[in-house]
Amino acid sequence: MRQVHYLIVNEFINDVQGERLSEEDSIKRVCDSLTSRGNLERWDRRILSAMKMVIKVTELVLNEITCRLGVSLRQSEDTLIRNMLASTASFINCTAGINGDNPTNLTRPDIDDVILALLGNNAATMLDHIDGEDKFGTAPTRDAYFALCHTNLTKAFDSVNGFIAKAQYPSQMNVLRSEWGSISNLRFLVSSIGSITYKASEKGKNVYNIFCVGLEAYAVIDQDRYSSSFIYRPPMFSDPLAQNASVGYKYAQVPRICNDSWLYNLRCTIY
Amino acid sequence: MADFTLIQQGRFTSTGASVTIPLRSGVDWMRVYNTTVAAANQTTAIGVEYYWQNGFPQGYAWEYLKSNAADAANLSQYLTSGGFTYVDSSLTPNGVVNATVTAISNASIPVVTNSGTNGLTAGSIVRLFNITGGQQLGGMDFTVGYNTLSSTTFSLDYMAEIAAATTGSWMLINYDALYYPRRRYITNITQATQAVVTLSVTHGYLPGQKVKMIVPYVFGMIEMNNLYATIVAVNTTLTSGNTITLDIDSTSFTAFVFPTSGEYPAFTPAQVVPVGENSAEALTLGVDFLNDATINTGYIGMNLSAGANSPAGQSGNVIYWVAGASFNVNNQ
Repeated sequence: MRQVHYLIVNEFINDVQGERLSEEDSIKRVCDSLTSRGNLERWDRRILSAMKMVIKVTELVLNEITCRLGVSLRQSEDTLIRNMLASTASFINCTAGINGDNPTNLTRPDIDDVILALLGNNAATMLDHIDGEDKFGTAPTRDAYFALCHTNLTKAFDSVNGFIAKAQYPSQMNVLRSEWGSISNLRFLVSSIGSITYKASEKGKNVYNIFCVGLEAYAVIDQDRYSSSFIYRPPMFSDPLAQNASVGYKYAQVPRICNDSWLYNLRCTIY
Repeated sequence: MADFTLIQQGRFTSTGASVTIPLRSGVDWMRVYNTTVAAANQTTAIGVEYYWQNGFPQGYAWEYLKSNAADAANLSQYLTSGGFTYVDSSLTPNGVVNATVTAISNASIPVVTNSGTNGLTAGSIVRLFNITGGQQLGGMDFTVGYNTLSSTTFSLDYMAEIAAATTGSWMLINYDALYYPRRRYITNITQATQAVVTLSVTHGYLPGQKVKMIVPYVFGMIEMNNLYATIVAVNTTLTSGNTITLDIDSTSFTAFVFPTSGEYPAFTPAQVVPVGENSAEALTLGVDFLNDATINTGYIGMNLSAGANSPAGQSGNVIYWVAGASFNVNNQ
């Protein structure tokens, strides 16, 4: 886990709670605790004086904004990585579908092709297999690469031969929140900001980009010696009457493909 | 001036063409001053100062005019076009799909004929769709207009000859892919001791860069598929160039053949994929060995229209500008 620059979150993670949380979860839990009187008293000694100012002056609004900014920060990073992959990564069109477009709708042979390409290039899988268990309606999953894609694709997965929904995994131990299911050696992670190339198929339909990635296929490099900074400026710095506080974030980083052979953009249409 | 108001300013000399000024953190207001107009007596009212603020529709501006010898801007008007246009390149608002293609020629450089007025400029990027008799071009992007351009025709400058095609659609691509260096479509590869590869869109590659070739079997030259190569030379001639020369001897390879319409219902296009830099080659060539660096080319900014009554002025006008972000915007 990377260092968090927001001091309150560091306090919360390291000193009070003693457990490791994701940055987004940490910010949310801090904000949740501050909006509850009981929690506020409980954590009072741990909270910096600047944070007390937040409560008094701007009450819940700034807290909520802080929560939303935390999400925005991570989504911005994801969006930039998405755009880099869409600009640069080599792609394979789905060609085995039946909708008559190019690329076609998603099918099992197309998925097999991209897995074959990744295996042939010695890409390492992201996740280990899940052993089969004696549970009704479950099926084992294979070692898997990640497939990062848009939520609109979820209805297409059910029609692909071999699809195993997340709920059918024998164990939910290492399942990710964004995961939707698996097909062969791909485990699909979906997001509403997944990549779409608008009006880019042969028929002029939207093309959905599924980034099938092996271990260490791409990376994010921090620039200028800092990653993301979450910055709160109390009202004292805004104007002579100290009426307005602000909170924001900044970061300087660049996404980069480390090995193009360990990453393919599987493109499809969904109608 | 309130704290948090972010100010940028600058100056440029008009070429008579519109100008896009990149700005940081968005912009809530902007003023443009035409010092050339201000310094001379004007017999006919002409724009000397322009103002825009958050809430104006796209293309609008408040214009102050200098009408006579007096050193004053004594007229003003609210322009509904030819003013300021806010730009965020990351939003990639491509043009509309125009179902106006009536023919594509079988010339050595194919020429598209369209009904109506296409509004393209030389170097525009166009995506074709659903071309009858030219299905293999559907979904591909092309740089157009360097060889042939009129309101009803445009050339696919770097496409190889195809069988004549008929009706279909096209769309203007307003912004190139966000990150440099970009993946490009291949339209031709020569059989030579150093293979020469033609790309459909202005490539922007530089000598010394390392690329991966993706050439599916439908393009014939299957031996080239998945090979890594160093770019040893580039040709950026606008009318017939846009090629890269690779350190691959393709003399004995199968000939590259672009699929014909309907030959394959669906296929993966041939691509050049930038993967890195050959540092030794770059040093030998005397070029920057970091020129493969990944660069986010996105920007937020303001496009200034050109003309006597527009903020970018006329050719030779010296323009000063200042822009800022307000602490609070309350547009109701």
